[in-house]
Amino acid sequence: MEALRSAFDFSDFPRTDLCVAGTVAVFLLIFPLLPHSSFAMATMIQFLMFSVYGMGWNTIGGYGGQVDLGKAQYVGIGAYTSAVMMIRWDVPFWVSLPVGMALAVAWSFIIGYPLFRLTGHYFAIATIATSLILKDLFESWSFVGAARGLKIPIKGEMPNFLYLQFRQDAYYYYVILGFFFVGLFYLNWFRKSRIGYQLRCIKDNEEMARSLGIDSHWAKIKAYAVATAFVAAVGSFHACYNFNIEPEDTMSLDLSVLIALMAMLGGAGSLWGPIIGAAVLVPMKNYLGAFFGAKAGLVGLDLIIYASIIMVIAAFEPRGIWGLITRLRQGRGS
Amino acid sequence: MALLEVKGLGMRFGGLHANRDISFAVEQGELVGLIGPNGSGKSTLFNCIAGLYTPTSGSVFFLGKDVTGRKSYEMARLGLGRTFQVYVARGDLNVLENVMVGCFLKTSSPSKAKAQAEALLAQMNLTELARDRVANLPVAAQKRVVMASALATKPDLLLLDEVAAGLNLTEIDEMMNLIRWVHRDLKITVMLIEHVMELVMSLSHRVLVLESGKLIAEGDPASIVCKPEVIKAYLGERYVQEHGAEVLEAAACAPPGNGEN
Repeated sequence: MEALRSAFDFSDFPRTDLCVAGTVAVFLLIFPLLPHSSFAMATMIQFLMFSVYGMGWNTIGGYGGQVDLGKAQYVGIGAYTSAVMMIRWDVPFWVSLPVGMALAVAWSFIIGYPLFRLTGHYFAIATIATSLILKDLFESWSFVGAARGLKIPIKGEMPNFLYLQFRQDAYYYYVILGFFFVGLFYLNWFRKSRIGYQLRCIKDNEEMARSLGIDSHWAKIKAYAVATAFVAAVGSFHACYNFNIEPEDTMSLDLSVLIALMAMLGGAGSLWGPIIGAAVLVPMKNYLGAFFGAKAGLVGLDLIIYASIIMVIAAFEPRGIWGLITRLRQGRGS
Repeated sequence: MALLEVKGLGMRFGGLHANRDISFAVEQGELVGLIGPNGSGKSTLFNCIAGLYTPTSGSVFFLGKDVTGRKSYEMARLGLGRTFQVYVARGDLNVLENVMVGCFLKTSSPSKAKAQAEALLAQMNLTELARDRVANLPVAAQKRVVMASALATKPDLLLLDEVAAGLNLTEIDEMMNLIRWVHRDLKITVMLIEHVMELVMSLSHRVLVLESGKLIAEGDPASIVCKPEVIKAYLGERYVQEHGAEVLEAAACAPPGNGEN
């Protein structure tokens, strides 16, 4: 009960934040009713997907301070579980969703147990490695379609809420918007919960955290599992939304880096950070990609831009855009 | 039954014997000082007891249980609190949140942890600092906050590692009152490492002296400063040979508080 109240309690934020957040929430709710292009709709859906990816990443990467660059492997597990179950056994999305999340979380325990013996850069590198290994496995595993991937067939009449198959994107939009709000309220509880404080203490000073009775290794594994559940859920959605999945687009290093980058750009370790990051980067990625990629043939330009952003964050404000806002506010206050 | 019992403890880092064959016991309700020159192995001994290191030989008993080699978080759960000589805060926790983390050892409810932490901060005169980031505080306040977090876990035994280092005279006085309060009112057994002799000598019931990793003397504060081996450890052998008589005389004449420095 206390947990539920805590999830809906945003009272520790200043009123301006809540006004902005409320306005954004209303906009998100009515967006499909406003006039928009299908490109804008696709961008909004991607924005919501990356927000939820980022929220998940934020638990371990932001609050826990463990830079995780291997989240794509869990996107893949979620996406493939849903796709395989739908294609082979006709299982509805809402059943395969929790199964995919459970499989991903189980895998995250297997990976997390040895990985969290490492810290800092070594941990980050190891997460990349595990993700790439899993991608390679999927690329040569014929049961899941190997490198060609899987194509989900149309299951009867649309709109099909059971299998998440719609002709209009607005349906997908509201499904992922639901995920978005569930994630937001969950994270709002998480950051004020025992595990949330314990993780922040570990980030502060791990030795001190352990002297206060926190099993830091286990706490990190738990947070990693939470992050994984978020990411796998969106992975399952991704499979239904795209109808077509392959290792290259669900498990690539690019995706892992983008997830971490959005959360870090917006502000790792803050509630709004991942949302801000996704709101900046997703439209930029799509519109710049469309503009340069198609017209000028500058295919690698988006990568150059991401790399520059990483350098700017690292050099000037490790807490990202949210850190910048906080600093400006404190400057004005004093 | 002693609260803490250390038997033949040794800690070796490669060829360096940081602790060798140390045995002592701390009874419930005691306040024990641990002194010794720099590098004599005091912090290593604390780390062996608190589970940061696993001793290479010997054993540690806490509340009658053999706890040798237990991890530090397990020791905290058994009722051992500690502070660190050097504390670096990298994150963004504020004072209240830091103390709440300690409270979370015994409760999983955020509202209870918050109430407990606020009460503890009020008792320790830290309420005004509750919203400040720990990293931004002056040393004296930081040391109190770290102590408050350790106290929030409700330990039976508190190990304090140089809580008075870097403090001025007024702050040392406050720290002494704080340790007295912890010991007398919270009824927590305290063991402290300290170079500020005034503090050790006036607070401790009993003082242990380490030198080169060995326990060379043990006794009440007044008698410990007269022991030739202790004087030798601090002042060097030649000095004692030349000025031994004067030093002994000075130590014996002076009131306990001014034995050193």
